[in-house]
Amino acid sequence: MSIQIRDPLALLPYQSGLVTTITEEGAAKGQSPLDSRQKAAVIGEPIPIVFCRRVSSNGGVLVSPAATEGRYENNSTTNVLTTKIHLVLSEGDMDQLPIKDVFQRACRVGTWAQTYDRRAETWDPGNFIVAVATKKFWNCPLYCGTQGTYDNMTTLSFINTHDDGSELWDRQVHCFVRNGINVTRILDDITGPSNNVIDLALYLITQSSRFPSSMVDLTMMEDAALFCNVNGLFYNGEFKESTNLEDWLQSISSDFLLRVSDKNGKKGLRPRLQTNANGTIKTTAIEPVFTFTEDHVIIESFEIDYISLENRKAITALVLWRQQPDSDIGIIRSAEIRMTGLADNGPLEQYDLSQFCATEDHAVKVGTYRVASRYYVTHTLRIRVAPSSFNATLIVGDVVRVRLRRETNVGTVSYHNHFYEVERIARAISGVISLDLIHFPVDSQNRSLVGLAVNAAVGNGYTVPTGRTDFTCDIAGRAVDNTPLPDVGETISPINDPPVETDPAELGNEPDAGPTDPVDNPEDPLDEPEPSYPSGPNPGVTGVSDPPKEGETANAVPPCPGGKVCWYRVTKSLVADIEEARTTTNRTLIQCETLGTSGWEAGASLVLTNDDIDHYIIAEATCPDPSSPDGFGEPSLIGITEPAEPDIYSYTYVRWTGTITPATGAAYQVTTPFAMFFAGVVALRGLWGCGQDIEFNQNNAASFETTVPPTGAVSPWRASVITTNKTTNPTGVYALGGFASPCFGSGPGSQIPGTAFGGTVEGRVISVIGNWEFSNNGVDVITQWEGTTGNEQGP
Amino acid sequence: MSNRGQSQYLRIYDNSQTYVRWQAYYINQTITLDSASWSYNPFNADGMMAGSPAGSDVTITVPATTTAISVFKAALNNNRLCEIKMYEFDTRLSQSAPISTQSLIATYVGEVSKISGNFTELSINLSSALSPVGAQVPPRKFTTLLIGAPVRL
Repeated sequence: MSIQIRDPLALLPYQSGLVTTITEEGAAKGQSPLDSRQKAAVIGEPIPIVFCRRVSSNGGVLVSPAATEGRYENNSTTNVLTTKIHLVLSEGDMDQLPIKDVFQRACRVGTWAQTYDRRAETWDPGNFIVAVATKKFWNCPLYCGTQGTYDNMTTLSFINTHDDGSELWDRQVHCFVRNGINVTRILDDITGPSNNVIDLALYLITQSSRFPSSMVDLTMMEDAALFCNVNGLFYNGEFKESTNLEDWLQSISSDFLLRVSDKNGKKGLRPRLQTNANGTIKTTAIEPVFTFTEDHVIIESFEIDYISLENRKAITALVLWRQQPDSDIGIIRSAEIRMTGLADNGPLEQYDLSQFCATEDHAVKVGTYRVASRYYVTHTLRIRVAPSSFNATLIVGDVVRVRLRRETNVGTVSYHNHFYEVERIARAISGVISLDLIHFPVDSQNRSLVGLAVNAAVGNGYTVPTGRTDFTCDIAGRAVDNTPLPDVGETISPINDPPVETDPAELGNEPDAGPTDPVDNPEDPLDEPEPSYPSGPNPGVTGVSDPPKEGETANAVPPCPGGKVCWYRVTKSLVADIEEARTTTNRTLIQCETLGTSGWEAGASLVLTNDDIDHYIIAEATCPDPSSPDGFGEPSLIGITEPAEPDIYSYTYVRWTGTITPATGAAYQVTTPFAMFFAGVVALRGLWGCGQDIEFNQNNAASFETTVPPTGAVSPWRASVITTNKTTNPTGVYALGGFASPCFGSGPGSQIPGTAFGGTVEGRVISVIGNWEFSNNGVDVITQWEGTTGNEQGP
Repeated sequence: MSNRGQSQYLRIYDNSQTYVRWQAYYINQTITLDSASWSYNPFNADGMMAGSPAGSDVTITVPATTTAISVFKAALNNNRLCEIKMYEFDTRLSQSAPISTQSLIATYVGEVSKISGNFTELSINLSSALSPVGAQVPPRKFTTLLIGAPVRL
């Protein structure tokens, strides 16, 4: 689940640029120092972008390029100094400058060359100053620079001479650029200089390679470009201060009455004012595209936020701009804009457009928008509405009307009734649409009040004289010489500092490829998979018979060095089979043995005693685990035996003891006398023998069903049996009882009293349940044994 | 309102080709829209917003299937674009295929800018790769390759 959190409505005026916060006011940034020392380029500085286009005697920018190379030599007799400096004018290509537009200080002097994508001129940098007797020594730079490729840059070479003793040899060079770098203009699709900020924005977006051009809404951008063009909002400046592209877009858009916006995920700039199709500010009646009423607005979704006093208080906007005379330095101008009768004495709020704004009307319109918005726009609104017919048509920038009925007085109905501009549309999967709206103030004719104010705002048209009176430092005729600078230069072989590249074609092109080898981790005894349980008789345990017998030594090997083996016994009669014996918790610990880290492979041992008779014997191992409190990890079963049996060869006497439940009548306890037996089979007897006769009537097996042991079993050393006669036999009586050793012969045994079914009655049950007891003296019982219970053959 | 249905379509593409077309409404069906086939892959796109400030993100949630992981990782690695379209239609007319009268009510195009999630679910952020911090323009700087070791004045 994802949670969508909306920004607080109070932020909307700031986010939309309706309200701006001026945190710093100072000298105009467009001011050019004229008579200063020549500046040098520094590695890491942004390469400036000169972006301008002089149209109708308006526009252009005075640029002070930085030097990258220098050559200094003097005449060994006259000491006349010849300086040659190489300069970077701008990134990109631009038209050749006319010679009247290049200066050192304020003077049109020197020999110039301009080229693109290579080094201008062919001189080599260096300091070749020699001391001349009685003359002043030229203290020129010793580090004169080395050459570069000047890839995709417009470069200049400037050569000048200076008489002995001149102090002007190191003065800054300036260029008045009428037409800046060539870009593809969005409005006419022609490559050439531009003064449209949209072209600059697109150029920066493309050059920065930060996101694909397909994510730029070109239709929106074209509308914005038309708006700027029609309303005289032009960019004429040198862009050289490093900044964040997103910040720059936000900042510059406000100064061109635009706002950064998303439409369908695509980024673009759109006018802050309603416009006509031809880009002019709309001053006619606004027709809202939709009117939201109680039928659409979801209950309690109405949220209003009035713009705070500090952002409503009337101000005088002081907008700085640059009057750009033809072929001269720009003059910083200021325009004061206020609402009539308000803020005559301030407060002042300064907007510095001097770096790029070269028209007074541009400055005045921006200032008017600021003061009019403060005056007229009173609030923002957020509503959530159910989807309706507007769903497919409403877009950001549309003007809508919200008309909600308010009844707070008996007999009086009022309305919240305003026009709004749609600033944000958020669509949820549920279908509910959230609209962030900015108050759109209109007059009685539904015309935009802010639009009317901005459209009517024009500058005073006053031109400030430059104040320059002396032009004698110019070379004669230069001031009107339109000869383009010669395109002279040389291509420098790349120096030995190319970008360091890693070739994925050699290393592999798939950044997310995984290893091809199988997992090959070092062995971790704590992370080993559970060992597969051994199979076979007495699985995992060696050294014993099948089934094991008392006196034998069982052995089990743990899976790890330093492990511990514990032995348990599980009573045979409490579990169904060996599988259940493995998992039951009803068991008794016999002993534990901790093995060393060497010799552990021999395993742990257990000598079976008569206590283990009729018990499964379990071996369980645990491996060392330092993280465990007892130093050992989780135990795992490593072996188990069948139930242990007595070693009948070590006894002389045996007897049977148990309970007989006859076919009729009450059950009774029987313990037979001890009888000596040979090393052979002892078993309960039926009528016709023992062992094989356990079904008691092998001549008529179908007549009886034996439930313990299974039908048909051959069971020497069986001590218990339950059987049912399934049919009548009027000719005889079948009986159960007696035992004999060795087990042969026929007829009922004498020691256990026989019990008969009575051959004429069907379905009678006889039960004989007991144990064998062993002795060596015929008196003392040494051990007891349940006897065989399954199909096993017995000892 | 009760008859209003919304379906979402997702397409990942670049300048040369379209890599996937998914729809999340017609379960287990491949449907045809705009002369193209859209296979069923459940996803959920939320946060589709238009307006200021620019730079809002859309988050897509998808099951972390092998296909989804592969598709979106490739999109992130190769700067592919992801387009989300939301249509509105009358559910009474058809529930088995898009109807010709359905209306496109929202579109969003963004780069796959971030993938996160867990072993079973992925969240994919769509936005531009334009970082809100860091100097980016003017885009080029003076380098030794471009201007050598500049003069020291």
